[in-house]
Amino acid sequence: MSKLFNDNAIEEIDREKSRWKKQVYQPAEGVEKVFETLSGIPVEPLYTPAHTAEMNYLNDLGFPGQEPYVRGVHPTMYRGRTWTLRQLAGFGPPEETNKRYKFLLKEGATGINGVFDYPTLRGFDSTDPFARADAGRGGVAIDTIEDMRILFDGIPIDKISTSLVTCQPICNITVQSMYFANAQMRNIPLNKLTGTSQNDFLMETVITVAPELLPPKFSFKLSCDAIEYCTKHVPRWNPISFAGYNYRESGCSAAQEVAFVIANATACSEELIRRELSIDSFAPRLSFFLSAHSDFFEEIAKYRAARRIWVRIMKERFGAKSPRSLKLRFHVQTAGVALTAQQPLNNISRAAYHALSAVLGGAQSVHIDGYDEALCTPTDLSSLTALRTNQILQLETRVTNTIDPLGGSYFVETLTNKVEEKTLRLLDEIEGMGGIVKAVESGWIHKEISNSAYEYQQAIESGKMPIVGVNCYEMEDEELPVDLFEVPETLQIQEQKLKKIKNERDGAQVRDALGAVARCCEKDGNLMEVIVESVKAQVTQGEISHALKDSYGTWDPPLF
Amino acid sequence: MPSRILTARGIPRFFRSIGDGREKVLMKKKIRVVVARLGMDAHWRGSIVVARALRDAGMEVIYLGNQLPETIVATAIQEDADIVGLSTLSGNHMVLAPEVVRILREKGMGEVNVILGGAIPPDDVPKLKELGIAEIFGPGTPIKKIIEFVSGPI
Repeated sequence: MSKLFNDNAIEEIDREKSRWKKQVYQPAEGVEKVFETLSGIPVEPLYTPAHTAEMNYLNDLGFPGQEPYVRGVHPTMYRGRTWTLRQLAGFGPPEETNKRYKFLLKEGATGINGVFDYPTLRGFDSTDPFARADAGRGGVAIDTIEDMRILFDGIPIDKISTSLVTCQPICNITVQSMYFANAQMRNIPLNKLTGTSQNDFLMETVITVAPELLPPKFSFKLSCDAIEYCTKHVPRWNPISFAGYNYRESGCSAAQEVAFVIANATACSEELIRRELSIDSFAPRLSFFLSAHSDFFEEIAKYRAARRIWVRIMKERFGAKSPRSLKLRFHVQTAGVALTAQQPLNNISRAAYHALSAVLGGAQSVHIDGYDEALCTPTDLSSLTALRTNQILQLETRVTNTIDPLGGSYFVETLTNKVEEKTLRLLDEIEGMGGIVKAVESGWIHKEISNSAYEYQQAIESGKMPIVGVNCYEMEDEELPVDLFEVPETLQIQEQKLKKIKNERDGAQVRDALGAVARCCEKDGNLMEVIVESVKAQVTQGEISHALKDSYGTWDPPLF
Repeated sequence: MPSRILTARGIPRFFRSIGDGREKVLMKKKIRVVVARLGMDAHWRGSIVVARALRDAGMEVIYLGNQLPETIVATAIQEDADIVGLSTLSGNHMVLAPEVVRILREKGMGEVNVILGGAIPPDDVPKLKELGIAEIFGPGTPIKKIIEFVSGPI
């Protein structure tokens, strides 16, 4: 296969560029500032064909819907179907969140993206002493299958896709089971359900650690149990969404974000193959969740590099044959960590740039953050503004007209290669440690992220990284122009429901259900197979978590 | 980080000393800060970055991870802390932060300052100060400001 440019042309361009740099390009006052990406990749003043001269178009870029999928996973990309508008929502008791879902669907959202409160994400009941001040905060409270029924009441879950932001496997194993059991009780066959759950063990053991964590290898096992269950029974469900977004929020760089999700996906694939599933039976349903941060071009490069790395790992390491296994599909959320509490309306423009990078990078679905998220849970107004920002991007800007419009940009292609190199180096390092589970157990991942977070903060402190309204253009005595969201009363409502359920349910059935969970742990069976049935006996999420912790013990994470 | 991490519920199960002895303050006792995340809040980034900056400024930091007020106070007493730093972005601050102050006062440790960082709606700031929180550091606060506050007159 031939090169993109002929050698003579490249030589000529290089020669002319040196001349240009000497004679024409003159940095202000003769002092060259340091230019680099957010993750520290040096950026040159100008990119030319010489930077991409070594690239082989067909091998390295190809065509949309074909290997190596750098230019997009679908042949038509947004000309065929635009990205899903999937706005995150969840707060208070399920009765309240149900209303927000219906509101967003009425206003044109094309999928549900449900987030759970802090206790639910960690496998605690609302009434647990540890949970008492957090019920309904950051998401919706789910304690029993009755809450799941209320949450999706009147919503056609056989027709629209649902993303369950279950984050941690200990949450997912029960909450996803409740979702499936609730569908069965509504007479909707599991093979009709479409959606995604997060189910990422790094969330449990590194990113959003809580009291009484499961040890990493068991959290990882629960995550794989759910993937195995869905592969067998819920074929249109994406049973995991590797949560690079959250890794990034807690401090990762762009390359770390991609390396950690891919290392995680590699580990899951190995485990499922060990369980005798074929790579092409589950890999098409592995999905990714990435961040859109402030460095516009680096983010675009990141998405493109991730696709190229994934296709090679799937083919070369796992021998995947199905084209669907080779496509890295991802949802994007705009970076919450980049939002400011100061002058919050500025966040509307920030998030719009973030979303634009996601779309130029070929995202499958996009959530735009509310402008008030550094202050509170988004209000109706900020959620709607975010949805409208997404719609403006989709309908007015015409960025959807052609596929991968930045493909071939000397700069974007070079940056894509650089992010890929950085990511591959990290992947090698993790491989050398024995894989991602080992890298978590040893605390290496914790340390990596904490170091990056610290450097990021230092860059803000020193002014090296300007943040408008925070370290430049601050306004004194700023009046905040926003109405803030208040979480509706949750604990009392959940308490009452739990009390009633515990009084009315069949005690013998509950004991049997929890006994079955404990036995399944002992014989290392697939826990989701058991829990989908257990939750029908009105067993609470906390009761199942306790059963798991009794069997597997708990783990103290290393110091960051 | 020359500090210790305590992560278990109730009475801490283990301590880990990781002091590197780099910064010895000879004339004066080191300022001891207990840093905790309130309740079930999920965000560790802020608390870790601040804990590390305080360490670098020569203080001793005891990092607790997620805890409830009773344990935070018990640790502050046991560690003879000069100041307690709380972090939360979950919205549980109005319930849990004042409880830390109240229990400290009940135990006769009212002189220990309690400071709070995280996503705190501006309307809550005067209420929290009323309830005894010494200072609130919202998103975007320069860490220098926190260090200055902590190392000020105790």
